[in-house]
Amino acid sequence: MILAALCFILTIAIYYATKVVYRKYTRVYLTPLLITPLALVIIILLGHVPFHTYNAGSKWLSAMLQPATIAFAVPLYKHFDVLKKYAVEILFGVMSGAMMGMLSSALFAKCLHLNASLLDSMIPRSVTTPIAMNVSQLIGGIPTITAIVVILTGILGSIIGPLVIRWFRIDNEIARGVLFGTGAHGAGTSKAFELSAVSGTISSVSMILAALFTLCIAPLVF
Amino acid sequence: MRIKTIIKGILQIAFFIFVSLIMNEITQLFHLKIPGSILGIILIFILLKTKILPLKWVDIGANWMLAELLLFFIPSAVGIIQYKTLLFQNGLQVITLVILSTGLVMACAGRVAVAIAKRRERKRAL
Repeated sequence: MILAALCFILTIAIYYATKVVYRKYTRVYLTPLLITPLALVIIILLGHVPFHTYNAGSKWLSAMLQPATIAFAVPLYKHFDVLKKYAVEILFGVMSGAMMGMLSSALFAKCLHLNASLLDSMIPRSVTTPIAMNVSQLIGGIPTITAIVVILTGILGSIIGPLVIRWFRIDNEIARGVLFGTGAHGAGTSKAFELSAVSGTISSVSMILAALFTLCIAPLVF
Repeated sequence: MRIKTIIKGILQIAFFIFVSLIMNEITQLFHLKIPGSILGIILIFILLKTKILPLKWVDIGANWMLAELLLFFIPSAVGIIQYKTLLFQNGLQVITLVILSTGLVMACAGRVAVAIAKRRERKRAL
């Protein structure tokens, strides 16, 4: 009990500490989403803390993910005129990106010789966890494995995103939002809000659209 | 920060938690395929748009939660340690796949959006 509470406090403390460091140095690999879990994993393993003890305290943080996702309605409402104006860019960007996500995941999984159920678990990995898990189940994947790969996508996506923007010279804040929301769901959206309020909002819409698109298309294709 | 703002923020977050619980009940009751959080976004958006729900009733709480969104992902990220065997057996493949595929998705979504934006700008200029 005390240990669980301690884990909860430690999670928050490490998160804020890495956030301060990240704000000061803003290197992509210093993102709190990479450093905080890494530090916690090391502490848990060294301290021989079982994961369920850790999670007994920290599940309250995971539980906040859903209300926080609903809060995306507020920036959506505030920037609705921007969304309407760029609806075509968003729609086509999201559809091509989401399609690419499913196809390339399946293709790479085949090339890397992953077994069939693992392959199916990879297909919906670009979209937000609840929908990804749902799709995974529909097409014969393993929902919990999908959930892990979704988290990995979020962590790696917020690191890769800025590189993609640089290498592919994506100088448009609408396109930047589309890319983060389609490629790395909520974690990417949080990163997009760092770039600008408009990019963040476009990213939240893209995240929702990509999820709905994947939910409708994946069971038909795979 | 004033005490009043803090109390407002906490109450607003409680409101979002309440909405998410109700939405989960609804999806379960009607066996909907869409998760409660997406229904919640749609509901709050409609309420704001129709002015039934004033923006100032949810603004502070929403901003706070969105600013700390990454914190809520962290326990699930730590949860990866439960899948040591998967990570040892297929970890490198899975990470390679995620990096390559995510790069492709982002490049594709971003370039398509840029291309359409440029095309529409040209049309507008004509």
